[in-house]
Amino acid sequence: MSVATTTLSQYRAQLRSNRLGLWLFFISELFLFGGLLISRFYLWGGTRPDLDQRLGLIVTSILLLSSFFMYLAEVGAEHENRRLFLFSLIMTALLGTAFLLGVVIFEWGGEIRPWDGAFGAILYGMTGMHALHVASGIVLILIVAYNGLRGRYTAERHWGVEACAIYWHYVDVVWIFFYPAIYLMGTVPT
Amino acid sequence: MREKIKMSDKKRAAYRTGIVVFLVVAALTAVEFYLASISGAIAVLFFIALIKAALIVRYFMHVNRLWTDEGHE
Repeated sequence: MSVATTTLSQYRAQLRSNRLGLWLFFISELFLFGGLLISRFYLWGGTRPDLDQRLGLIVTSILLLSSFFMYLAEVGAEHENRRLFLFSLIMTALLGTAFLLGVVIFEWGGEIRPWDGAFGAILYGMTGMHALHVASGIVLILIVAYNGLRGRYTAERHWGVEACAIYWHYVDVVWIFFYPAIYLMGTVPT
Repeated sequence: MREKIKMSDKKRAAYRTGIVVFLVVAALTAVEFYLASISGAIAVLFFIALIKAALIVRYFMHVNRLWTDEGHE
């Protein structure tokens, strides 16, 4: 059923199912990220690796700011403010890329390697799995931006934008738990 | 005309919500960072993370839209 042929009431009925499906997907993802978080507490306990605290705060701030721009992009789509929508989407993608580079180049470029026992395994497992989701989120944002440039979204019909925004915020929520678990909780063993 | 004013009010409210949530979450992140520098207590940091996540889920992810027809008006 194409967008052009569905009535608005049909579209809204479909929207409810779409939203439910997306949230069920998030619940399934929760098992993956929850498992990693539990592994961190099981293997690291009250300790943590000696990581660059400033880098952790910077990448966390970048991801939080990207979430704010994603929110603005959705508001832009809802109110047919095309300029705000596209600008915010591009900003989100750029900030997401900066986050990714911060983790991959600077964090992974540090002293800890994936084979360095529990610290290495958990650090790379958590940041790697999260980075994979950030990367896929950036791809989704670029697809939505392309569709937006072609005028495929309206104030009444923009499920693609909403789904992409919710996914991006979900990735942010995961980092909200990962950031303190990796960088802040516990003490560095001497 | 009335419809246009109503839309503009909704837009303004949406901006305000976004800015307030962003600032609160940013402030809580700073609190986390500060608390970690003095103690690193797991329970406190986890509680702050829960508050931050709840704000994002409620206001940015619009979890309430699951049981309402809000949006796409």
